[in-house]
Amino acid sequence: MSAQAVHLPDRARTGIPILDERLQGGFPRPSTLLFFSEKPTEKRLFAEHFAIEGAKGGETCLYVDFYRAPQLARREFTRFGSFPQDRITFVDATSSQLLVPSSEAYHIDDVSDLLEILAVIERAIDERRPSRVIIDSMEFLADRFSKDDVFQGWRRLIDAARRAGSVICLLFINWTYRDRELNTIRAMSDFILEFQSSMRGGIIRNTMRVSQLEAGGIKTNWIPYTFRDFAGVTVYFPRILVTGPFNAGKSTVVQTLSEKAVSIDRMGTTVAFDYGNVNVMGIEAEVFGTPGQERFEFIFKIFAREVNGVLLVVDATRPQDFERARHMLALVGPKLPYVVLANKTDLPGALPSEEIARQMGLAEGTPIVRTVATRGEGVREALLVLAEMIIGVR
Amino acid sequence: MTDLWDRLDEAIGQLSDITDIRAAAIVRRDGLVIAHNLPDGVDPKLVAAMTAAIVGTSEMATLQLAQGPFARAVIEAQDGKMISMGAGEEALLVALVYKDANLGLVLMGMDRVARRVDEILRPGVRSTTGTETW
Amino acid sequence: MPDDLHPRLRAILAELRRVPEIVSVAIARRDGLLIAHALPKSMNPKKIAAMAASIVGTSEMATVEIGHGSFLQSIVDSSNGKMLATGAGQEAILVTMVRSEANMGLVLLSVDRAAREIAQVIDEAEPESREVEA
Repeated sequence: MSAQAVHLPDRARTGIPILDERLQGGFPRPSTLLFFSEKPTEKRLFAEHFAIEGAKGGETCLYVDFYRAPQLARREFTRFGSFPQDRITFVDATSSQLLVPSSEAYHIDDVSDLLEILAVIERAIDERRPSRVIIDSMEFLADRFSKDDVFQGWRRLIDAARRAGSVICLLFINWTYRDRELNTIRAMSDFILEFQSSMRGGIIRNTMRVSQLEAGGIKTNWIPYTFRDFAGVTVYFPRILVTGPFNAGKSTVVQTLSEKAVSIDRMGTTVAFDYGNVNVMGIEAEVFGTPGQERFEFIFKIFAREVNGVLLVVDATRPQDFERARHMLALVGPKLPYVVLANKTDLPGALPSEEIARQMGLAEGTPIVRTVATRGEGVREALLVLAEMIIGVR
Repeated sequence: MTDLWDRLDEAIGQLSDITDIRAAAIVRRDGLVIAHNLPDGVDPKLVAAMTAAIVGTSEMATLQLAQGPFARAVIEAQDGKMISMGAGEEALLVALVYKDANLGLVLMGMDRVARRVDEILRPGVRSTTGTETW
Repeated sequence: MPDDLHPRLRAILAELRRVPEIVSVAIARRDGLLIAHALPKSMNPKKIAAMAASIVGTSEMATVEIGHGSFLQSIVDSSNGKMLATGAGQEAILVTMVRSEANMGLVLLSVDRAAREIAQVIDEAEPESREVEA
């Protein structure tokens, strides 16, 4: 069995299309990725996702796990859906700790011997030539060995990966290192992926960001994500607000975006909200439409709290409503990313976008997407533009 | 933090132990789901949004009407009642109740659990475990 | 009460207000516009109408989603009173403000009757219900 796919793509995809697009297909081969978080669970989840994404694409991956037995890891991987199991090779570092024989091809027999650890991993990389390598995780070494020895080892692993043309992901939690050491680690990395988890009012929000030290490189905002069975790590926007003047087409926008939407409306007007769930390009978003009538503005006080971004829908044939549109945007809150949907562009009298921008007094560079919501035209595109703004890749 | 979820799940369980309560949910005031044991076929996200709308709007209405602080909203239907109330600054409690329920017992139970949820969520209402600097 | 309000609606509301525990009333269109009311202006009747319409609309969706059948009424409890909202035909909602110690049996009977009568008047009348201000 060949350890290498017939033709390795020169980029390692994350499987999150909106990120991969910004990365021009994925992380370049070879490169060094640092996965950093305060808690183990968040970065590990993404590391697993990344390894499995490679496997699903036919790439070989090497997973060095200091904390879990390979059998356990394989079991936990099943929630990502099915993938060719033989594509992921484990370096077993736990069997020896448990004093049982290993059934893996690569195993570390003495975790107190740094040289052995490095030698086994290097050999696995040299022999298997995996396209992706995961080291889960470096603080296992930082806990046991001197700082200098760890850094030497760090470089050795990076060099081995480079020789094999691999993307190596080094997971790390910092418990003891100070700024100087952290800077050294940072300087050895091509990309840094940070993971954070916070709780707001009883709801946990997981976010990650990707940055590149190189000038002009990728530098995203904190991206909210969640985990979905089979799909794995998914970008997740808990609330995209769709607002705008009465009759602009907000409810239609929500309905056309979502597979299954609900609208609470009476006599032709929304009296509470519209709600739908969208899945597009690896992004999941909960979309909320507000009423347009002034008498329902109290709704904003309830729903406009943790809003990721706004789709501001205006009727392109009714400039007299533009001021109202601006007012409603202000109700949601300042400084939120937003995209203007110039809707009903199929109707006569629909103004050109430059004119809409001028009459609305939009800031330079505000995206305006022309839509015909009743035909579903332009609406997904508008959401993707907004997603790029929220993530920080636009 | 898993301790928090256990405690919230326990609170939901306590509510369900009350005979006349069919199912319940703890919901954030802006309409996001915190915890629930709603039956399959009922969309918890939609219920959360609707509960937030009903309670939030009711609170504002009682303010307009100078009727004193809002206590609860009871939505009566042919085959059951839906009762929602605040559970502290951040959350709401909503219960699906059988038609011929003993409301007195239900409300007492809900008040108790609402106070419990408030306690659970209150310390470190907003806590960040990640670090910004790198 | 305005002079041009349909005399039958005026009569229905007057009858309702004779129930001692009923403090004030309003009739709103289901889309939140105000039809008639007997509230002090300080309580912003237009706002109440919109909020009541929002509550009823949301509750009607909620009762279906949770499998409780058709919506009957919403009761918002506060320390100093209750606000009842119920459908009054296809186009309207009856909103009733009640004292907190009210004998709900009598109140509900009166409200139900009034709602039915209002439904008859409005659903029979011109396609457009008129928005009137008291």
